[in-house]
Amino acid sequence: MAADPLVLGIETSCDETGVALVRGNELLVDATASSMDEHARFGGIIPEVASRAHLESMIPTIQRALGEADVDLSQVDAVAVTAGPGLVGPLTIGSSAAKALAVGLGKPLYGVNHVIGHACVDQLVHGPFPERVMALVVSGGHSSLLLVDDVATNVTELGSTLDDAAGEAFDKVGRLLGLPYPGGPHVDRLAREGDPTAIRFPRGLTARKDQAEHAYDFSFSGLKTAVARWVENEQDAGRPLPLADVAASFAEAVVDVLTAKTIAACRAHDVDTLVIGGGFSANSQLREKAAARCAEAGIELRIPPIRYCTDNGAMIAALGSAVVRAGVAPSSLDFGVDSSMPLTTIHV
Amino acid sequence: MAVLSIDTSAAVGVALVADDGSRLAARRVDERRRHAERLAPMIADVLAEAGLTRADLTAVVAGTGPAPFTGLRVGLVTARTLALALGVPVWGVPSLDAIAVEAVADLGLTPGDEVLVATDARRREVYWARYRVRAHEGPRGVPVVETVAGPDVGKADAVAAAQDPAAPGARLVVVGEGAALYPDALRSPALPADVMAGDVMAGDVMAADVMAADDAPALPDAAVLARVALQRRAAGQELPTEPLYLRRPDVQEPVRRAATTTGGA
Ligand SMILES: Nc1ncnc2c1ncn2[C@@H]1O[C@H](COP(=O)(O)OP(=O)(O)OP(=O)(O)O)[C@@H](O)[C@H]1O
Ligand SMILES: [Mg+2]
Repeated sequence: MAADPLVLGIETSCDETGVALVRGNELLVDATASSMDEHARFGGIIPEVASRAHLESMIPTIQRALGEADVDLSQVDAVAVTAGPGLVGPLTIGSSAAKALAVGLGKPLYGVNHVIGHACVDQLVHGPFPERVMALVVSGGHSSLLLVDDVATNVTELGSTLDDAAGEAFDKVGRLLGLPYPGGPHVDRLAREGDPTAIRFPRGLTARKDQAEHAYDFSFSGLKTAVARWVENEQDAGRPLPLADVAASFAEAVVDVLTAKTIAACRAHDVDTLVIGGGFSANSQLREKAAARCAEAGIELRIPPIRYCTDNGAMIAALGSAVVRAGVAPSSLDFGVDSSMPLTTIHV
Repeated sequence: MAVLSIDTSAAVGVALVADDGSRLAARRVDERRRHAERLAPMIADVLAEAGLTRADLTAVVAGTGPAPFTGLRVGLVTARTLALALGVPVWGVPSLDAIAVEAVADLGLTPGDEVLVATDARRREVYWARYRVRAHEGPRGVPVVETVAGPDVGKADAVAAAQDPAAPGARLVVVGEGAALYPDALRSPALPADVMAGDVMAGDVMAADVMAADDAPALPDAAVLARVALQRRAAGQELPTEPLYLRRPDVQEPVRRAATTTGGA
């Protein structure tokens, strides 16, 4: 093959309309439109609001991406799109647009897994993955530990959260502490000023009895409840809340478990490269602890810049590019989106 | 040279019409939920059936509803994106207009007659609009209607109660799936006699209404949609593809940023 194929990727699993162009592992452009501002006042994503915004943003976002990269649609070799997991309404807009592009351009279509895209995007930043990497994908909806032998064809889910995702836990604790939505970044900021050892909150699924079945799974709902109970006790006792200490101690409990289990998995599978992706990897406590523990364990840590950790088209174009180059057969035009697509599905 | 037309306001309908409005190929499946799965393959199918390629398409037309949101958006985003990929214009026509225009042709309505189109809006409501016939055969052989009320959404009985009589000597017919869904409210006898009949004998109206079950359109025909678009473009009208939602988003239930998946789920 003369050059790597030019892949246009479309992401619409939640509130961001993302369109990107990738050739090989080179990112040409990454354009995003967000409806986040429209949701903030509801304290959560309203799927119908997000879907309406995706419809209105789709064409402008595609055009912006093409314009910025100075690429004509006729140069696109393949179209990739998020097929799941995510919100059905938003996913449906992206998949319909991608199918229309594929039909209109006469080019192959690849429906891919959003969560695996969060890991794959790192290839655009730090180059091709070595033979085997561990990927920790932490976001608003997911906390998953993936053993990646080939990001296009061979990914094994070692564990994931049994209840709340890491970002979700941060958002809930943010609400508990009276912080604006989404609470994650606010808890992060507050935690930087507190003492992470002030309060000993529980570490979910780290008891010896959990080692057999849940060695690499996470659970954060018990922690959230513990924080709520602690806050309630203090309030009942009429003591002022040490907000920063609560935030710091809570954050410590989350990232302690995330990193300890991840490092253990790296050791167990003899992996010396760790990739962290997903919106929660913006979290500074996680970044610090992961850096320290990876250094200690002799593991190379790869975390893409924050703009590639939140939802974007680049992650989908990156995975599409990997899938195309792996020679995988294109998706059929009649594929349906899957809101709870399992991590065993890399592409449809 | 052909126009591709898409309507996903109820079922999934796709048609290819020549620039003169003649139908080259068409497909319709009565699929009310999985529009996004069915539509793209159907577009490929009609092109193949007509022996055309995507390069032969000169415009894309889409029904703009009103309609249940998710399916409606599938048609609109598909039409817009396809048009972008092909470098051709995209035109929108309200889906209810296509039903009204087809009713004029099928039921032999003449200028002054009126058509109340009612479709299924779920939640025990109908989408509706009321039209007056301007020409049984307008430019390019396509009937011309003007919207006199709606489009709007409401309970069938409230919609029926709000209808004024047709002008003396004119007929009012009720067409669309809504009439069949809520016969008590929207079948002619339920409407005030003068509303239905105007000055014409009730029997005419009844006949039309009975015909509605067989001969009058219940769903928008994508080919008719294309003809209306071509006629309106020729008359210099703008044809925006903005969706006719008619309802605000339901904001009762914010969701998590994403569906949480559990181990291997
Ligand atoms: N600095 C931070 N500290 C803690 N949490 C953060 C930080 N920045 C973002 N988050 C959290 O990350 C989540 C957003 O991540 P992302 O945008 O990847 O989620 P998502 O796309 O909704 O989920 P998914 O990728 O699973 O579908 C939110 O829960 C947000 O609060
Ligand atoms: Mg995400």
